[in-house]
Amino acid sequence: MNTTAGTLSLQDKLNILADAAKYDVACTSSGSDRRGRKGFLGNASAAGICHSFASDGRCISLLKILLSNECIFNCRYCLNRSDNDRPRATFTPEEICTLVVEFYRRNYIEGLFLSSGVVKSPSYTMELMYQTIYLLRTRYRFNGYIHAKAIPGAPEDLIMKTGFLVDRMSVNIELPSRDSLKLLAPHKSPENLIRPMRQIQQGITGHRLAIGKDPQMERASGIQYLPHTIFKDNPYKKLGSGKQLPGLFAATDSSSSFVPAGQSTQMIIGASGETDLELLSVTQRLYQQYDLKRVFFSAYVPLNEDAALPDIHTAPPLLREHRLYQADWLLRYYGFHAGELLSKERPNFNIMIDPKCDWALRHLEQFPVEIQYASYAQLLRVPGIGVKSARRIIQARRHGSLTFEHLKKMRVVLKRAQYFITCGGKMLHRIPIEEDFITRRLTCDNSGKNWEISHPETYRQLSLFDDFHIDGDVTVEDSVKTFSGQM
Amino acid sequence: MTTVFTCKDLFDDMMTCIYDAWASRLGHANVKLLTEPLGTRELFCTYRHIDAQPDKAASVVRTIRQKISAHACRMVYRAAMSDQEDKLDVIYRFLNLGFYQGPSVLDCLQYPAVMRLFELDRKVSNEAHYFKEFIRFFSYENRVLVSHIEPRSNVLTLISPYFSDRLPSENWMIIDDGRMLAMVHPADQPCYLTALSPEEMKDLSREPDDAFVGLWKGFFSHIGIHERKNPRCQRSMLPLWYRKNMTEFR
Repeated sequence: MNTTAGTLSLQDKLNILADAAKYDVACTSSGSDRRGRKGFLGNASAAGICHSFASDGRCISLLKILLSNECIFNCRYCLNRSDNDRPRATFTPEEICTLVVEFYRRNYIEGLFLSSGVVKSPSYTMELMYQTIYLLRTRYRFNGYIHAKAIPGAPEDLIMKTGFLVDRMSVNIELPSRDSLKLLAPHKSPENLIRPMRQIQQGITGHRLAIGKDPQMERASGIQYLPHTIFKDNPYKKLGSGKQLPGLFAATDSSSSFVPAGQSTQMIIGASGETDLELLSVTQRLYQQYDLKRVFFSAYVPLNEDAALPDIHTAPPLLREHRLYQADWLLRYYGFHAGELLSKERPNFNIMIDPKCDWALRHLEQFPVEIQYASYAQLLRVPGIGVKSARRIIQARRHGSLTFEHLKKMRVVLKRAQYFITCGGKMLHRIPIEEDFITRRLTCDNSGKNWEISHPETYRQLSLFDDFHIDGDVTVEDSVKTFSGQM
Repeated sequence: MTTVFTCKDLFDDMMTCIYDAWASRLGHANVKLLTEPLGTRELFCTYRHIDAQPDKAASVVRTIRQKISAHACRMVYRAAMSDQEDKLDVIYRFLNLGFYQGPSVLDCLQYPAVMRLFELDRKVSNEAHYFKEFIRFFSYENRVLVSHIEPRSNVLTLISPYFSDRLPSENWMIIDDGRMLAMVHPADQPCYLTALSPEEMKDLSREPDDAFVGLWKGFFSHIGIHERKNPRCQRSMLPLWYRKNMTEFR
């Protein structure tokens, strides 16, 4: 192991620790709404703000870094596992604070995402993280967004103390079943992952009750109008069980906060043999049982050569990840349940069409729906109609009838929706409502796009300038020539 | 014969123009409203230039708030910040319907004028949101923050409340290079809009020597995952047009 911590420049450290942190997916800055304060730096906006987009198309919202990439754990899939010979670096708390404040002033970032390899022991690492965040909030007067990882196995009081300073906390479960966890992450036990998650949830519930809010986290607006969402039909929700406020919150005032943006987690897709159904059921259970705000999926990028892992040349399963995110949205915004989208007979998503179309095709008896009369819940289940366009339809149809032309302007995707709706009793074209026919029509539209998602860079149109290296700087003479027609 | 009312591309002028067009009693079908500079002039039209009168403008704003809603008033303001040619006429047609129908006009997306106003509002709001995300400040040696933008719509007044809230105790200014306008915010004071002379613009376009620029560029290139490289996705999320003044792409 390289231990050259003393000789590295700040730039080197930042590069090493950004490299080490980039496989963590969560980079959202949403869920917290906090006004700015005089003398402090920053605010937080509920919808979250992306400040840039990296070369892989993922948003950069937070300064995503590890405190240290030294790690005593040896999780097989991880770049920073203790076996790997990698340059190792550790930030001092002051370095992190300066970076955050100076980046934030220049509007590069929305806040800090702080994670860490396990240095010495989980409690030592958590203590370091706590100190960094405490310094940032107090001496550096930073009022922006902070997302901190809870290190599995860290003591309870440290996690609670951190919770009062940050906006979001997360514990990564990475692998959704006990077996694959044992195989690929031998130092992590499921109990050690669930305990901090449970504890943060109790903290959030306790604090929300203490300041007079509903114990459950807020969900997407509009979802309260849907009859059967995973949040309403929740077998884990204990009703009226006389919740005890943890003593910690007895004297809380409403200006303090405890993890206001909720907690999240992430799972790796494609490193172990779980089906989509298992992944999605775990996701749903995490939303219901632990009231998580988000579950992220990360397509497995092979970094280590290991007999227990897929081959090093395996392409990351990007399309599968995409389908799972689509399904996750259906759970959180559209009132679907995991059991509706997948079943034991069909445990994986159809790669050719998105989960909502897939569901609609298997339930053609419910279609077509009439735009003038369909309920909000019915409209949301039509492929091509989203939350915004459903709301626009509901508002506009009170004042007069709607045509396909109007729907188009309301940003309904008629390419998909036309097979499932009628306007004034008529469909857009005369088409048979048959599963085979509609599937064929939908997939012939989609195949190109799907190919692009799973092969982001393999094919493109030939370009004169890029492919024949005509990229010299344009001189003044050149531009004059183009004007005068010589070129 | 159509009468075309024209005015400068400023909010007060536009509202006065609407007032005068309405009060001219020529009939709504016989008037047309445009902002200057005018493109090709039409034949068989009379052109009438209107100058701003604060009391007339205030009266139009008051009427929108009373007869439609404060929300409609904000939408009209945002639509007026657009760079589209038909914006003033669309606002006029919208008010035409709105004063008659009241607050519920906002839901009637079936009417072309309402739909078009929605589109203009959405375009301007989206652009303003993009600039909240993609504005980059340079930090000068005296810790003053300066940012240059070249927006299509006039978004300065739409983004400044956000930055005042975010950076309340910093000295910053955002400069609209195309319109030569600047929003200036002295620390712990309210911000104000001012026009800049070409000499001032030249002074302010100097790039300071800033160590954090290099750090940020390094971070930016290292955070992308090589195996997932996808410039097309990056382009659709962050169009090239917005990258002109962004530190990491310079």
